Amino acid sequence: MSRVITITSGKGGVGKTTSTANLGTALAMQGAKVAVVDADIGLRNLDVVMGLENRIVYDLVDVIEGRCRLRQALIKDKHFPDLCLLPAAQTRDKDAVSVDDMIALAHQLRTEFDYVLIDSPAGIEAGFRNAIAGADEVVIITTPEVSAVRDADRIVGLVEAFEKGHPRLVINRIKPRMVNRGDMMSVDDVLQILAIDLIGVVPDDEQIVTATNRGEVAVLDRASRAGRAFVDIARRIGGEEVPFMSLDEPQGLMDRFFGIFGRRSTR
Amino acid sequence: MSSLINIKGSREGLRLQLDETVALGEILEALKSQLEGGSQFFNGAKVVVDVGERTLMGEDLAAVLDLMRHHGLQADALVSSSRESRTAARSAGLAARPVARAFSEVEERQEASFIQRTIRSGQVVRHQGHITILGDVNPGAEIIAGGSIVVWGRVRGTVHAGALGNREAVICAIDLLPTQIRIADLIARSPDGPAERGPLIARIIGDQISVGSWDAKR
Repeated sequence: MSRVITITSGKGGVGKTTSTANLGTALAMQGAKVAVVDADIGLRNLDVVMGLENRIVYDLVDVIEGRCRLRQALIKDKHFPDLCLLPAAQTRDKDAVSVDDMIALAHQLRTEFDYVLIDSPAGIEAGFRNAIAGADEVVIITTPEVSAVRDADRIVGLVEAFEKGHPRLVINRIKPRMVNRGDMMSVDDVLQILAIDLIGVVPDDEQIVTATNRGEVAVLDRASRAGRAFVDIARRIGGEEVPFMSLDEPQGLMDRFFGIFGRRSTR
Repeated sequence: MSSLINIKGSREGLRLQLDETVALGEILEALKSQLEGGSQFFNGAKVVVDVGERTLMGEDLAAVLDLMRHHGLQADALVSSSRESRTAARSAGLAARPVARAFSEVEERQEASFIQRTIRSGQVVRHQGHITILGDVNPGAEIIAGGSIVVWGRVRGTVHAGALGNREAVICAIDLLPTQIRIADLIARSPDGPAERGPLIARIIGDQISVGSWDAKR
């Protein structure tokens, strides 16, 4: 039974595209057939993050407007042949696509892939509505900042209003040392406000910036802590019970943290 | 003053009833102070204006509509027994209906609204009576009540009780850390620095909003 999952956040720059690329790759590593779709028409990024920019011939709008078949627009990943990217158009804008187009597209992709991950644009306007239109479920990315959490809260409300079920949460770029000092919102602080199920906590990782710039995803790097976190999230999406890893850097206060990250929201 | 202006909630939305006997100047004055008192309640709301037997047309009609628009109140329809008023309203782009005053006793009573969910950023709960919420009111959310507001949960958004001008309204919550708190025409914000935790009740004492612990008020 294939699943269409939209990755969204409200606020920009919290890591939607990086998360989509990493989760897509991690799911493919686990043997699933995966399509990642860049729904940010006019500001395409997912191809760059995955290092596939120079292979684009057709894009999502070409498919919708019938200039090519879906198969022609899908780009195979460099590492995993079962992972495909449907890139966004760069020369068009959100108005080129309608909610009905996205529903039809999701339906078409569903027949060929186990997972369809849709990378949503920031914001709550047409682009966001298009991105969640065809989704079965929604994953919300936030960082432990007041403004990002505020926007995530708004998105939770909208996702519920659009009857997309209960969204699940990934907290990205957490810095354990800062949380420890009380300078950053903790996982519990975020969950207290959002009150939705947590499916992952990704530690802040400088390597991810360099990897992204090279067009490589973190999950391929076994040494990357962020990459390991994304692999765990992909397994949880697949239905496995995976314990939350301790976010402490080596020699840290392992036990103190475990109490925080071992807990899940009950509401 | 408020007897000149009556605001009622009904199934079709808010109904603004303007006294039909006194001079229009007095009506405008009364309407102005009423709207200023509870402007947040009306922001963006659509209302039916009931002018009774008054003939309201031309500049007079424009004056009423301008005043309403200025306070974020949008006239949806005009109700009057005067044919001239209705014609004028239609040419001003409103729907117009003859008077049909059929408010039942039930609608006259201020009933409370009970809501069981988290009120999230960007969501607004508006009700002309009291509001009870079982859940949290998150930052960026707004609760606007004609009566009192009771929250069995955490309040971090904006809450406005007595939004139609009722200074007797109160706000209480298990944890009251609102962005802003308003009762009738008064506004207060949470003090900077560590806030008092635990069940609190906010009400107007003298001419300002006073927040105290639930225990102390009993």
